[in-house]
Parts: sequence; structure tokens; C-alpha cells
Amino acid sequence: MAEGKIVAGFIAPHPPHLVYAENPPQNEPRSQGGWEQLRWAYERARKSLDALKPDVLLVHSPHWQTLVGHHFLGVEKLSGKSVDPIFPNLFRYNFDLKVDVAMAEACCAEARAMGLEAQMMRNPGFRVDYGTITTLHMIRPQWDIPVVGISANNSPYYLTLDEGVDEMVKLGEATRRAIEASGKRAVLLCSNTFSHWHFHEEPALPEDMTKEHPQSYVGYKWDMRIIELLRRGEVDEVMRLFPQWVEEAFAEVKSGAFPWMLSAMGFPRVPAELHGYGTVIGTGNAVMEWNLEGAGA
Amino acid sequence: MSTVSAFLVTGSPLPLLRPDNPPWAVLADGFKAASAALVASRPDVLLVYSTQWIAVLDELWQVRPHSVGVHVDENWYEFGDLKFDIESDVALAEACVAGCATIGMSAKPVDYEDFPIDTGTIVADALLNPGRVPLVIAANNVYHDFAKTEALAAMAGETAAAQGKRVAVVAVGGLSGAYFDHRIDIATDHVRHEADDTANKAFLDALQQGSEASRAAVGDYAGKTKADFGMKHLAWVLGATGGFSGAIVHGYSATYGAGAAVVEFKL
Repeated sequence: MAEGKIVAGFIAPHPPHLVYAENPPQNEPRSQGGWEQLRWAYERARKSLDALKPDVLLVHSPHWQTLVGHHFLGVEKLSGKSVDPIFPNLFRYNFDLKVDVAMAEACCAEARAMGLEAQMMRNPGFRVDYGTITTLHMIRPQWDIPVVGISANNSPYYLTLDEGVDEMVKLGEATRRAIEASGKRAVLLCSNTFSHWHFHEEPALPEDMTKEHPQSYVGYKWDMRIIELLRRGEVDEVMRLFPQWVEEAFAEVKSGAFPWMLSAMGFPRVPAELHGYGTVIGTGNAVMEWNLEGAGA
Repeated sequence: MSTVSAFLVTGSPLPLLRPDNPPWAVLADGFKAASAALVASRPDVLLVYSTQWIAVLDELWQVRPHSVGVHVDENWYEFGDLKFDIESDVALAEACVAGCATIGMSAKPVDYEDFPIDTGTIVADALLNPGRVPLVIAANNVYHDFAKTEALAAMAGETAAAQGKRVAVVAVGGLSGAYFDHRIDIATDHVRHEADDTANKAFLDALQQGSEASRAAVGDYAGKTKADFGMKHLAWVLGATGGFSGAIVHGYSATYGAGAAVVEFKL
């Protein structure tokens, strides 16, 4: 069996507004569009993902929050309606996804071998969180590639940030080992917004783009600084700045997906491609890609 | 005020799903006592605030007349599923939505099939409310502080009074916030940090002394113990009741290391 590999990683944020704006048949609410720049960014990312022909997509979502360790979806077929408790007016999505249970179990086992607390989620009635679903829909609306869903352990919030990041770096290493042993081509998805400062009231028409702009100039400047560094391949500098970035931009990357993905990819010093950037209720969202296969990494 | 009873209870599903486990049985037994008190107070409506229903835009209120389904908790799914069958007092909930404008707060009604009623609300309804008294459920907007939450609750209490309703106030949330970060033998569950245990007990003592002592204690307590959302659920009790003279602690224990209690307030 050929050695498996991570062929790419994407920053793939999960505002449910993007699904709402696209009007897919799975989502009940109808919109008049909106957030086009980000949806066009995802269109570019979809093409790139299609060309990569991955066997499995692994997504780490901040909206499946677990208190005791890192959890992995462990039921082969999960379906139902995911109603976002925060934006129920925008996201009521009928999901039907196939889990690569073998890959999830391998990731879980490797995590445990590295001393992390990890467990499989085996309850067939489990309602998959909207972060996982939104990211997966936006990157691959055909839903024809098996997935591995990973929870966000709350360690970065209960431990110090450094300790939390250390946990996620280990989880990334465990993920890489499991992928390499699997023989599969894997794509990683970091389901995170950058600057997370947002408005506290919703416009009467949510897709009224005259109301959409960065909520915080400080957050916006951080978004641009980080994107520019990543476009130059300066991941070491980004990780050096990570605590300050999290603090000043209230960045959602604190939840762990970002260091997990970079660690799994070996902190690649290759330029990331920016597919697009936009704000959603004032938060900063970038769709970015590290094509490791194309870069020969 | 038309408040006839008030409670602060844990929203953890563990006492509901595994009442046979000794540390959680303490809480399950506490719920039985609190439930008896709630029933005896003959409320028309339960005014519920759960720290686990998170809102970030606007204040959300459940206005769906009947919510029924099975919920699987994102953390404790291995212990079983949570069935729920909840009636809402739609007239009061809609009046609360409108009432938010009077306190300068933007609010929205929530009326969607398959809406994920939060674990805390399901637990409280299941263990406190055998008579299926209708609920009014308010979300925990994470950007509302203690004072704003208290103002929200006061508005809800006054709105209920204007409708001539007898209200049971139900605040759903935990105490100290430190969970174990590894698997434990659940039979040995206890408050993770001794200092948190001490602080929890001191705080419960303060509740038993009444509103004034509770107000004096809550800020320092919440900071030291990383208490659940800064104990905003106590703000819900204070606002909706207008104050209490004391409290009865029906149960105090741990839910996987975090502090948890079932408290009935003396009005």
C-alpha cells in the first residue's frame, strides 16, 4: 500500500450565512444572495479540491465543543436536520454524510498513543454541528467524499494558550501519522474565522450587504497581516504572533483548528493561496489553501 | 411580582441520564425535592434561562408552541439520549420579545421545527416539571453582562405579572467551571479543585443568606472559580424575583469535576 499523504489544507470558515446565501436545496430558508466575494472564493477552492481528488476530508470545527478530550465522529452514516441555535433563521440544513470511520479510529488511536485524551462518538442520533456542515458544504457541496469530523476540545480556554496550542500540535502530528498509515489522499479543513469581532444585532434583511463591513479596524488589520504572512509562507512568524493575534483580533483560531492543521502539514514554509476574503456580520473570513502536492512539499 | 417560586439548577444531563451514580444521585434527589416545591407553588408558567442556549446576535426567545424530539448531548452522548416534549407560553414569550425594546434590547422570536432545544432546558424541564407547565425560554446572549441579564429577567417578570400569571423562575447553569480533562471513574466524581469546592460551598452559604449576601459574593466567586458564564443565571433569579430572603440547597455535587447544585429560593 502506498503511503498516505496530506495533499492540501484549507482554511475554510463556517459562517452559515454562506450556505443561506447560496440557496442549496438542503437548506430551508431562502435568500436573495449576499457575501458573494466569499462564495466566489469557495468556488475557486472547490475547483482546486476537485483537482486534488482526495479520498477523505478531515474537518476540525469549533462548534462541536467537548469538555473531556478530542472526539471523532464514529458512525458511518449520519443524517438529519441541523438547525443552527444561533442563526436558526438562516441555517436549517438537511445533512446526510458518510464518515470514514476507519480513518477516524486511526486518528483517535494515534492521538491516544501520543498521550492525548481522545474518544470515538458512536451515537447514531448525534446531530452534527453547523460548523462542520457549513465548511463541508462550502468546500464540497456534492457530499461524495467521506469525512472525518473532529471536535474542539476546550483546552485552549481552560489551559493556558500555549498549553492548548501544544495539545493541538500533538493532535496534528497524530492526524498526520494516521493519514500516512492509511494509504489515502487527505485534505484538511480548518473551520475557522480569523478576526471574530462581530455585530450584536442582525439587519432586518440579513443579506443586505450595505450593512456588511469589518466590525473592528484592529481585527481587519490583523486579518490582512496574517493573510500577507501566509501568502509569503511565513508560518513561523504567524505562530510567533499567534497569542497576540488571538488576543487582539479575538480570533476564532484559538479553538485549535489552525495549529492542528499547520502541525499536521508540518508547518509548511510554502506560500498559501488566498482564494478570497470577506466579512460576515463583521468577522473576517479568508479562504486559503496550501497545495502541498503542487508545492512538492 | 407574581413570582411564586424560584430555582437555580444544574443543566448537566448527568443526573438525568445516570441517577444511579452516587455523585449524580445527590443532584437527582435534589431535583425531586425542588420539583415538589415547584409543583406545590402552582405556577402558570416557568420562566427559564439556560446558560447553554447561546445567542450572539439579539436576545432570542422560544415561541414555538410545542417542541418535541430527541436531543443527543455533544459531550455526554455515551450516557443516552434526551427526549423532550415542551410546551411554550407563546403569549408571554411574544410579549417578552416586545418588552425587550422597552429596555433597549434587540430581540427575536424563535419558531422552527427541529430547533435544538439546549440540554440545560431539557434537563430542567424533565426533572422539575412533571405537570408539563408551559415554559418561556430565553437565550443566554454571551454579550449581556450580569446587570443586563438582571434587567432582562426583571422585564420578563413584570411582563408575566401584567398577564396575571403565577411564575416559577428557573435559572439553569453550573457553579465552578473546571471539568476533569481526562476520563474518570464516574463513581468517584467530585469537584475537581479543592479550592473550588470550598468556594462553591461558601457561595451556596451566601445564597442561603439572601440577595444582599449573594450579590456581595458573586463577582469574586465567579472570577475565582471560572463559574458558568459568570453566574449570569443568578442574575436571572435576582431580576425575575426582585430579590430573595434565603435559599434551600437541595443538592450539591460535581458533574465531571464541575460544581453543580439544586437550589430553591425563599421569596
